Amino acid sequence: MSWSRLKIELQKNASTLIMAGIFLVLPFILPYRALATEVLIFALATVAFDLLLGYTGIMMFCQASFFGSGAYITGLLIHHFQPNIFLCMGTAIAGVALLALIFGYMSTLRTGSYCVLLTLAFNELIFFIAYQWKTLTGGSDGLRDIPRPSLEIPGVFKVNLLSETHFYFFALFFFILSFILIRRITESPFGKVLQGIRENETRAQAIGYNTQLFKIAAFVIGGSFMGLAGSLYAMFMNFVDINLVAFDTSGKIVMMELIGGMGTLFGPILGAGVVTLASDIANAYWERWLLILGVVFVGFVLFARGGVWGMMENLKGRMKIIRSKGE
Amino acid sequence: MYLNLVLVQIVNGLVLGMIYVLLAMGLSIVWGMMNIINFSHGLFFALGAYLAYTLFSVTGNFFMGMILVPLGTAVIGMLLELTLLKRLYRLNILYQILMTFGLAMTGRELIIIFYGPVGKPFVPPDILSGTITLGAFFFPTYRIFLLLVSVCITFGMWLFIEKTKYGSIIRAGTEDSEMVSALGINISRVFTLIFGLSMAIAGLSGVLAAPIRGVEPMMGEAILGICFAVVIIGGMGSFMGAIIGGIIVGLSQSLVTLIMPSASIIVIFLVMALILLLKPRGLLGIRD
Repeated sequence: MSWSRLKIELQKNASTLIMAGIFLVLPFILPYRALATEVLIFALATVAFDLLLGYTGIMMFCQASFFGSGAYITGLLIHHFQPNIFLCMGTAIAGVALLALIFGYMSTLRTGSYCVLLTLAFNELIFFIAYQWKTLTGGSDGLRDIPRPSLEIPGVFKVNLLSETHFYFFALFFFILSFILIRRITESPFGKVLQGIRENETRAQAIGYNTQLFKIAAFVIGGSFMGLAGSLYAMFMNFVDINLVAFDTSGKIVMMELIGGMGTLFGPILGAGVVTLASDIANAYWERWLLILGVVFVGFVLFARGGVWGMMENLKGRMKIIRSKGE
Repeated sequence: MYLNLVLVQIVNGLVLGMIYVLLAMGLSIVWGMMNIINFSHGLFFALGAYLAYTLFSVTGNFFMGMILVPLGTAVIGMLLELTLLKRLYRLNILYQILMTFGLAMTGRELIIIFYGPVGKPFVPPDILSGTITLGAFFFPTYRIFLLLVSVCITFGMWLFIEKTKYGSIIRAGTEDSEMVSALGINISRVFTLIFGLSMAIAGLSGVLAAPIRGVEPMMGEAILGICFAVVIIGGMGSFMGAIIGGIIVGLSQSLVTLIMPSASIIVIFLVMALILLLKPRGLLGIRD
């Protein structure tokens, strides 16, 4: 590869490289390691949601059922069988993909606001099942006793994940892998169809695409990555909180997405970071800080719909204009 | 004895169902006319209950709350519509959904700040406590009262929508709000009033439900999902659909409680999923 080619590649991937750099040092600059893992896992869930809202234009409120089900499946498997870590995560992703297929099919029977309503109702269904089926899920007490498995391929290698630093880099590996995959999807012809559906669904239908099929595919792909995030979260916390399947978790992911900047893939990561860190700091001072988050969120909806990422791009654009005027 | 239990549960189911009807009516009108899914509908239900709680503990008069609280929630609703929602009408509906969602969260936190995170008991006024005997059966007076009041309100709403000039604007707006505005009607003002009306009924149902279930900050969110299911079952923008959906949901919830209490809420969403598969527009839905 020639030098100029490399330079172009670097410029193209500058944001990705900066992001990777930040994530490499993040656990060492935050007050405690586990906070970085939390940021990472929610960033993964929010990027997955960005594929749906930002790229396909599907608003939904059942993120929690995907995220939470991933966590419950992982938790239950470890709790009862202690299988290999990869088997465990694979089962969780497959299970959530199936759930996303069902929800996706039923929600996309209708379009627009109807679809939003349905996803919320489905999320309530999952929540109440988890809440009532106490013998399986532990109900409102949550699912306890989930020892963190070690990273192991029998006979090949074995790494202990009990250290928070180890677990962080384990999660980071899956995060980067998922991010590259999701970005690849958004750049693929398939991703372009999704964006076409976002811009004008009727037109996409007129060209001959079965838009419902594409939307279901978006549900399944996005849902699977949310399931992966949930699976990581269960192993990270060693505990599954009933709130992971509650509306609040969906709302949290929606807020991270909008505050970060939807349809940008990087924005949602930023949003997850900002919201997670702010809640960690603010929680120590005032338990009801969600009031502030709510007001800030309303402010973003009113005045900064591009989110923090959009503001940064905006600023960059202005700087360029000022600089070009100076020359 | 078992028959008695079933009958009592049917009355309970109707009471519950009528609360859902009141909430779903408002939700459905706003949705049909303004194309907004109001995620803060549950908040106004909770707000109504809390305002009634305050009024009742200060004045001791429950009926005053039934009149003043809906006025209060209507005013708050209209102010929010004028100052916040109105700015978003020209954008994708996504932002209106996000706005109402943000308002719901902010409002819930405000309620917790003012009243504390723990629920409070709400005893029905003396005049409405006790039971009524009908033949061999006993029914709590307050539930019968609630049933009567909510049926009257529903009937009143029906008269208003079907028989008055304003009602015909609402019906026409549900079909095509642009056309209504082309006919010289100030649609923007109609939207504000409709939103206020919907919030008044939501507040009133909060007042009515408070003596049955007490007041607690999460009550709005708990009921919002069920109301969405009611609207999906009944069909969007359909007045009769909201009524039928509400009663189906209330009855199935209370009757399933007899057989399997833990499944009583789950069954609502299963019924919804079933109806959605059989009739994607809902029982009486008129358009997408």
